[in-house]
Amino acid sequence: MFGTREMEINMGPQHPATHGVLRLKLKLDGERVLETRPVIGYLHRGCEKLGEDRTYPQAVVYTDRMDYCAAYAENLVYIEAVERLLGVEVPPRAQYMRVILAELQRIASHLIWLGTHAMDIGALTVFVYGMREREQILDLFESYCGARLTYNALRIGGMPEDFPEGWIDEARRFLDLFPARIEEYNRLLTANRIWLGRTRDVGTIDGPKALDWGMTGPCLRGSGIAYDVRKAIPYEAYADLDFDVPVGDRGDTYDRYLCRMEEMRQSRRIVLQALERLPAGEVRGKVPRRIKPPKGEVYHVNEGPRGELGVYLVSDGSENAYRCRFRSPNFVNLQALPDMIRGHLIADIVAVIGTLDIVLGCVDR
Amino acid sequence: MNPTLLQFVLIPAVKIAVVISIILFVVVYLVLLERKVNAWMQSRLGPMRVGWHGVLQTIADVIKLFIKEDITPTHVDRLAFFLAPVILLLPALAAFAVIPLSGQPFRVAGVTVTPWISDVNVGLLFLLAIGSLGVYGIVMAGWASNSKYSMLGALRSAAQMVSYEVPLGLSVVSVLMLAGTASMVGIVRAQAAAGYWFAFWLPYPQIVGLFLYFVSGVAETNRLPFDLPEAENELVAGFHTEYSGMKFAFFFLAEYINMILVGCIVAVLFLGGWLPVTLGIPGLREPLSNFLPLLGDVGATLTGFFWLSAKVLVVLFVYLWMRATFPRYRYDQLMRLGWKWLIPLGLAHVMLTGLVMLLSRG
Amino acid sequence: MSKIVRPQDSVFRKLFLLELLAGLWVTLKYQFRPKVTQQYPRERPELRPRFRGVPRLRDHPDVEGPLCVGCNQCALACPDRCITVIAEDRKVGKGKQARSFYIDYEKCCLCGLCVDPCPTKPITAIYMSHDYEMAKYRRYEFMSDMGVLYEGHDRTDYKK
Repeated sequence: MFGTREMEINMGPQHPATHGVLRLKLKLDGERVLETRPVIGYLHRGCEKLGEDRTYPQAVVYTDRMDYCAAYAENLVYIEAVERLLGVEVPPRAQYMRVILAELQRIASHLIWLGTHAMDIGALTVFVYGMREREQILDLFESYCGARLTYNALRIGGMPEDFPEGWIDEARRFLDLFPARIEEYNRLLTANRIWLGRTRDVGTIDGPKALDWGMTGPCLRGSGIAYDVRKAIPYEAYADLDFDVPVGDRGDTYDRYLCRMEEMRQSRRIVLQALERLPAGEVRGKVPRRIKPPKGEVYHVNEGPRGELGVYLVSDGSENAYRCRFRSPNFVNLQALPDMIRGHLIADIVAVIGTLDIVLGCVDR
Repeated sequence: MNPTLLQFVLIPAVKIAVVISIILFVVVYLVLLERKVNAWMQSRLGPMRVGWHGVLQTIADVIKLFIKEDITPTHVDRLAFFLAPVILLLPALAAFAVIPLSGQPFRVAGVTVTPWISDVNVGLLFLLAIGSLGVYGIVMAGWASNSKYSMLGALRSAAQMVSYEVPLGLSVVSVLMLAGTASMVGIVRAQAAAGYWFAFWLPYPQIVGLFLYFVSGVAETNRLPFDLPEAENELVAGFHTEYSGMKFAFFFLAEYINMILVGCIVAVLFLGGWLPVTLGIPGLREPLSNFLPLLGDVGATLTGFFWLSAKVLVVLFVYLWMRATFPRYRYDQLMRLGWKWLIPLGLAHVMLTGLVMLLSRG
Repeated sequence: MSKIVRPQDSVFRKLFLLELLAGLWVTLKYQFRPKVTQQYPRERPELRPRFRGVPRLRDHPDVEGPLCVGCNQCALACPDRCITVIAEDRKVGKGKQARSFYIDYEKCCLCGLCVDPCPTKPITAIYMSHDYEMAKYRRYEFMSDMGVLYEGHDRTDYKK
């Protein structure tokens, strides 16, 4: 007659804290989580198949729709993979422009992460502040390529256009303002005892385990492993630029939080350097009008805001890729979720989902 | 007319009607204030469309809730489902029976009217008792909804409210000791006689008591950073997940009425109730204690009401301010805070107050 | 590689809740600062010159008739295959022109790829306009022929 019973509960796919359409099947003992099974696929649109059906330049548009919080990073990795297939050189000015935009995108993406993560834990205001700063980055993107979310801001062989007049000054103004804003987020969260309580020792994962799961990006670096594609396999102009890769040691949510906050500062540093050294010249290399890469295959990786973005392309010599496959850091990082929240309380689930910083568009593709 | 009837039925009935309408009016504008203050703190504008700067927004929302379809899910326990909002709302309203809205009785048509519904000599105990009834409504709502999220929310809420009753009770003990009475009117009169608010009692200011009461009050009313029972990011909407329309509005109303109640109690116990802010400052006290002298008694009553409202407003502002700033506690941390910090702090505070009282009496 | 910096907090700060007060101070300050909200239908956002709204067509600057030469390049470039062009001989002058030009805005993803290959450089026949309000009541209204592509969509202006 007396006894405890496990409760099964369904979190999502429509739930305020699952960042889209993630569904979690939870097994609970009171408030304690015994077992979690993520169910994905609610946002599957077949981006990979579309990448095989459409020509190379057309498929870029679909990469925009994968990780819609950091569409530029997806654009970049796909375009670079095609360029490697083609063997095209990108002009130096375009390389620097790519770095500038990629780092601005990283800041914007981390601001979304910060806002949603904080809002999941109850700090409503940080969300709005983060969105306010992100808006300025979106303005910069709008000014550059005309779109605010799905940029399609790159062309094979370079950039579609040069920066418009006044863009660099506007970017500088934003970057001058930004440290003060980070300081505000710090005041609201970093030392706050409630925030510390909610994030310290929550969702802990140690370095070797994170490697075993294949985690990348800030989630891996929070566990003390300094792996960053920008340093490990430098692409574009990253080899010339000076920046640090922040690394945590405990592997808990708080360390990942501090890592990402520091990454925003480092991104700002990179953009300032790149703006300083921006070479003159062409922005678009010579590419044939019809993109027909020679037969072959390529696997190309980039450091996206959420981790290692990979594209695997097989060309059969036609205008379409024979096979197009994306390695999504979100998908890989999400796998560790059941492991990270076992034994925690329900409230920690939202903290861990927040800290993994998943975008379901990229998980399901 | 029969004077007994007049004194014990008619006048109280009118007063109850007046108090309830004041409360409802304040709730409507408290909701608007909350949205506006939060918006301003977040660099936003808040409601702007309905009326000038959105002044009619809440009224529009209430109308919307009224005309919404009242959904009763299939698997609920119907009786408990219907009763829960009522059980939550009634104690919240009943508690205002002992809150003195002002200090000065006035005469209307030869009858003396006091600006409080009743002055019970165990007013504070009445408040504590009736305040702890609200949890039944929440538990009933969670249980009757027959939904797992509601259930979790209700259980959290029950544990939270029961735990925070203790520091809440402890924080008022020192006020009882200082005032020597449990009557709410008596407590304010004691502050007037002493010449200071209890929050600024000189040898040992009751700031700790104020802090304790306020924190426990926030926890009792389920507001951020203690809004676990309805943490929308975790439990969708907690105990009222399955409610909609007017029944939801009752929960909403009860939450805001409880906020106002906490504001009133803080004002009465620690901030001198209807007494002016300049209490104890010799030159300023007299002119400010009744700045509507032409109206006589009625003026004095209104002045007292003004001061009380100002204090309540400050407390409510802190509520909203905290909501805009802080993250939410986790369930176990909330319990740890309540039992390991607030209760020992409350006990220490009571003992220290007693000691100081003993010493200062000489 | 660099280690992250953990904030150091003194017992004094912890005891008097100073870090909580610092947070409260931030939100209090913002209460009195100018707000960033735009009252959208009443106040329209300022668009940047390169803003990519729905694609539209341009008239020929010099001669009568459309600028579009009906080459079908935009239709080929479109990843959503939402453009249909039918060409005919130009009525004034030599060459061809578009007899009908359809864009299905239901499919259009506003990527701007159709503008790139347009041969009528430097002024392209198809361009990304600054229209962005595309809500309609009927699905067929999204199917835009040349008339809509020249005139643009109806725009509702909100007063008050």
